[in-house]
Amino acid sequence: MSQQKPTPSSSTNRVKVLRTFPRFNVSQRWEHGILLICIAILLLTGLPQKYSSSTWSQTIISSPERLAFIQLIHHITALVLTALVLYHLAKAGYLLARRKLPGDMLPVLQDIKDAWNMLLYLIYIKKQKPAFGKYNFEQKVTYWFLFFSIGIMVISGYVRWFPEAVTRVLPGGVIPAAIMAHSTEAMATAIFIVIWHFYHVHIERLNLSIFSGWLNEEDMRKYHSLEYDQLVHQPHSSQDSGDLSHEA
Amino acid sequence: MSKITLVTKLPGIFLVIGFLSQASLLWYTTAHASEPAQQTEEYCLSCHSNPDLKTTLPSGETLSLYISPEKLKDSVHSPNGIECEACHTNITTYPHPPIEYQTIRDLSRSYYAACQKCHPDNYTKTMDSMHAQAAEAGDLDAPICTDCHGSHYVHPPDQPRTLIPSTCGNCHTKEYSVYQSSVHGNALEQESNPDVPVCTTCHGVHNIQDPTTQQFRVDEPDLCASCHANEEMMSKYGLSAEVYSLYSLSWHGVNVSVYDARWPTVQHNSAVCSDCHGIHDILKPNDPNSSVNPNNLLVTCQKCHPGVGPNWTGAWTGHYEVSLERSPFLYYVEWFYSIFTPMILWICGIYVALQIIRLIVDRARRSLR
Repeated sequence: MSQQKPTPSSSTNRVKVLRTFPRFNVSQRWEHGILLICIAILLLTGLPQKYSSSTWSQTIISSPERLAFIQLIHHITALVLTALVLYHLAKAGYLLARRKLPGDMLPVLQDIKDAWNMLLYLIYIKKQKPAFGKYNFEQKVTYWFLFFSIGIMVISGYVRWFPEAVTRVLPGGVIPAAIMAHSTEAMATAIFIVIWHFYHVHIERLNLSIFSGWLNEEDMRKYHSLEYDQLVHQPHSSQDSGDLSHEA
Repeated sequence: MSKITLVTKLPGIFLVIGFLSQASLLWYTTAHASEPAQQTEEYCLSCHSNPDLKTTLPSGETLSLYISPEKLKDSVHSPNGIECEACHTNITTYPHPPIEYQTIRDLSRSYYAACQKCHPDNYTKTMDSMHAQAAEAGDLDAPICTDCHGSHYVHPPDQPRTLIPSTCGNCHTKEYSVYQSSVHGNALEQESNPDVPVCTTCHGVHNIQDPTTQQFRVDEPDLCASCHANEEMMSKYGLSAEVYSLYSLSWHGVNVSVYDARWPTVQHNSAVCSDCHGIHDILKPNDPNSSVNPNNLLVTCQKCHPGVGPNWTGAWTGHYEVSLERSPFLYYVEWFYSIFTPMILWICGIYVALQIIRLIVDRARRSLR
């Protein structure tokens, strides 16, 4: 899908210049990597506890010691994830305070229009996909869904980890509610990641920009045409804009 | 003209054989029951009906040798022809052989082995019991058959049913008096209630097991459920029969069921019924002295969760359906996710399916062009 057809004017021996466009900075790539590992570990250690009566779970949790060990891993990973969330929020706060927080990820009315047009495109009413900027509505949905989902998971996780302390402040009814929310939200998140996120980054096209940090020209033109036009038509400021300023 | 072959005779032969084998059974049992007309009782009682008949054992204890003829006639054995020599097998003549027992207990512990002859199943069961273990460990006062059932004057042990706790209470005095004041014991003694558990309902009869083991602990919810999950029985007393099934879904119940199913002997502290409701001292929850009375509940929780605040009891949902009145947080969370999770599944699924269809159709068109 991403192979380039040589234009009629180009000779076969021409050195092809592959233009790449910075997309994610080092911090964002590390954040994603750590998040990915954390969620994977939390799911792998959490699901056997949720489905403790199933055979596959009993193979994993074969003894009370194993259960305690799995819980320990879950707790340690949760602490790492909490640190990541705090880092993410602190960075956003810092950038916001210095008025450098890029607004690309904020949901706007255009996203709803894009989603509607996309739906019309998918059911063959429109011929063209809507043109997207740096983050299309699908990517914004991914970010914000996981943002709130992780928020719920972290809060409900700590409530059931430290129920005695929590009920000093909050009514007791939040404990069973947190137990339920933690377990159910985990399933909703897992479903979302597997169906929505995996489709968009693996099947629709293999998009590794979150690991490499850059996107090639064709993908830019095809999937982020508004951003591409903006960058290409303002060549001097293009490589240096927004939060990508320190990208190597 | 009539062909009487072996085949046509066969049903008749079976019938005859069947009848004979059934009849022989009848003959065998009647013969067996009528056989031990031992005729010893009358003979023995000619001396032993004397209330003053006694002897002194080497230990210095006085052993009364008096047998009340009236009470003996009233026992289960004598009217069925099971008379003195059935158990006193070592006494066949008069004058009797010399008594070789040092103490009365010695004598009892020797004679009770005779029960095994006719009651081998129950006798064997007692060998596995807590009581047998105590005897093995050297406690000669550990109960033997005759301690609970009596020796000469044996009656059905559960008639009336109140007899069971009082029999156990002969030794277990503290447990008995606590039980008497519990909701179960009180209903038994005051109302002769046929449904409430007596000692043997929970502890078993002859093979009484150690109730302090982990195995007993994790099995306990099932034990209580054998009555408290019985819809018919609970409805008589206006009690919910859902307490067990709802408990099984609760935090404590899930933990206990995992341990019960997989590691029943591993020490585990998730609360079972008796941890909150008490054991022999179970009271109605609205009794001011009940450990689960709303006023006492926090103290009960603090047994396992030391230092928790007053809000803590609100976290308990183990016997109630999720409802807006009782558990509003849980109610709204459950309501939210009952919509949210399927919604996420459907939206993601449909959207991605549409994209895949469009992608495949576009590619197919391009390649066909």
